[in-house]
Amino acid sequence: MENQDWVYTEKVKDHFLNPRNYLMGDEAAFVADAVGIVGNPVCGDQMKMYIKVDDDVISDIRWKTYGCASAIASTSALSELAKGKTLDEALKIDAKMIDDYLGNLPKHKFHCSVLGHDALREAITNYREKTAKS
Amino acid sequence: MVNINYIHSFIIALLSIVEYNLDIMVYLDFAATAPLIADARRAMREAEEKFYANASALHTPGHLAMNEVEKARELLAQVINAEPEEIIFTSGASESNNTVIRTFEGHQIETSPLEHHSIIEAAKVCHGDKLPKLYSYMLANNETGEILDLEAIKKKSAKSQAPESSELFDAKNDWGKPLVTERRGAYLHSDLTQALGKIPVDVKKLGLDYATFSAHKIGGPIGVGALYVRRGVPLKPLIIGGNQENKRRGGTYNTVGIVGFGAALSKLWTEKSWEIYDTKVRKLRDNLANRILREIPGSSLNTDLTRGKSLPNILNVSFRAAEGESIQLYLDAEGIVVSTGSACAAGDTKPSHVLMAKTGDAEVAHSSIRFSFGPENSATDIEKVMAVLPGIIDRLQKISTIKM
Repeated sequence: MENQDWVYTEKVKDHFLNPRNYLMGDEAAFVADAVGIVGNPVCGDQMKMYIKVDDDVISDIRWKTYGCASAIASTSALSELAKGKTLDEALKIDAKMIDDYLGNLPKHKFHCSVLGHDALREAITNYREKTAKS
Repeated sequence: MVNINYIHSFIIALLSIVEYNLDIMVYLDFAATAPLIADARRAMREAEEKFYANASALHTPGHLAMNEVEKARELLAQVINAEPEEIIFTSGASESNNTVIRTFEGHQIETSPLEHHSIIEAAKVCHGDKLPKLYSYMLANNETGEILDLEAIKKKSAKSQAPESSELFDAKNDWGKPLVTERRGAYLHSDLTQALGKIPVDVKKLGLDYATFSAHKIGGPIGVGALYVRRGVPLKPLIIGGNQENKRRGGTYNTVGIVGFGAALSKLWTEKSWEIYDTKVRKLRDNLANRILREIPGSSLNTDLTRGKSLPNILNVSFRAAEGESIQLYLDAEGIVVSTGSACAAGDTKPSHVLMAKTGDAEVAHSSIRFSFGPENSATDIEKVMAVLPGIIDRLQKISTIKM
């Protein structure tokens, strides 16, 4: 962290300035198999994950986030981690994995802004409930 | 043959392009800290060389240093319409605020949720039920720039119940003097940190017993402030163990810092800086506000631009569906420096207590940005902001979970 001119690591800065897999504008632009949401704008952070599933694998993923730089970066990082994983593997993604991937977020940021995996889990649960019914 | 020096300087030139360039940034965070003005830097360098002696010492170098301290004191007294002996130098506004609040330990203290944390937190610790009561209200708000009607507070404080005897303050104390000479309804303190230099400030007209000031908001150095203590009103020193400032504030004089404060005060006074703020700075602020409202969907002002309702240099805006820290850091990446009331930026769990108290809406507070101007800003700065801000907000709104 020495001589750093930014509050976050380079990896966080990269995912914040160049986020991956975000969903711009109208939600209908991405036809998702399932969606999950976590957080609350009143608390300052909210994330929504949209997944496409083929043969039990997350074949494509998008997200929307209202939140701070680490919320945007951690959701972007999560989307990269989840893409191509089986649903069981994706369920194992936790806050620590996202934090490790980004090279550690500031401590006070960790609990409030690394939430996306819960939205992803909700999306996977929704997907399984939906496919079990059909 | 390749000239090694040439390559070396080429690499250095490249590096300086890649690295953050402080010269090309647009600084709009004057309400947090104004950059040190050239006059202050010069005066401080000179003071470091000439006035290093302990200002309390009896020898000649000590006297020379003390003369510099007294010059600054006289200047501040002149600027705020006080007497020099009514001014105590401190380490900054937080110390000044703490000193006043702690003087009223165990007493009734009335303040507002719009105050600086150094008032709110100290009042929480010190509040009691004794009389006389202390009222502490800032003249101008840090975050929104709102100017408060101190006249109304003054009237209220005048009606406040007086203690039956003044013994509470007269009790013999450890720091030398009896605390009080005066018996009255209540005492009035105002944090004038943001107001100084931006609007005319007259402690007598405002009817204050105490007032807080800070050097680094007016182009002086960080680490110096002052407290106005009207003659005859009580004051319990926060730092005891030294005879400095008439036993009212212990600690070796920060001569260099005080000299810097003096240089900033001198510039402010000779330029009549409040006139520059009322004209040039106000115009910049209002232009940015109007352009934001016109060009950015979902924007709303948290600052009332009406003359007299707010300081002319502060503009607080909320952007629907876009979070403040993200806006701040996207702007930072473009070399534009602002602040935010979002919780995340402060490393807090709650957003700006000021905006929460004003709006009661956490989303408005989380989505707020404060632009604060100085005389150094120009119309080009506004152009630079408006060249990138609409795009930043648009992108954040489009990836937001909150629908527009």
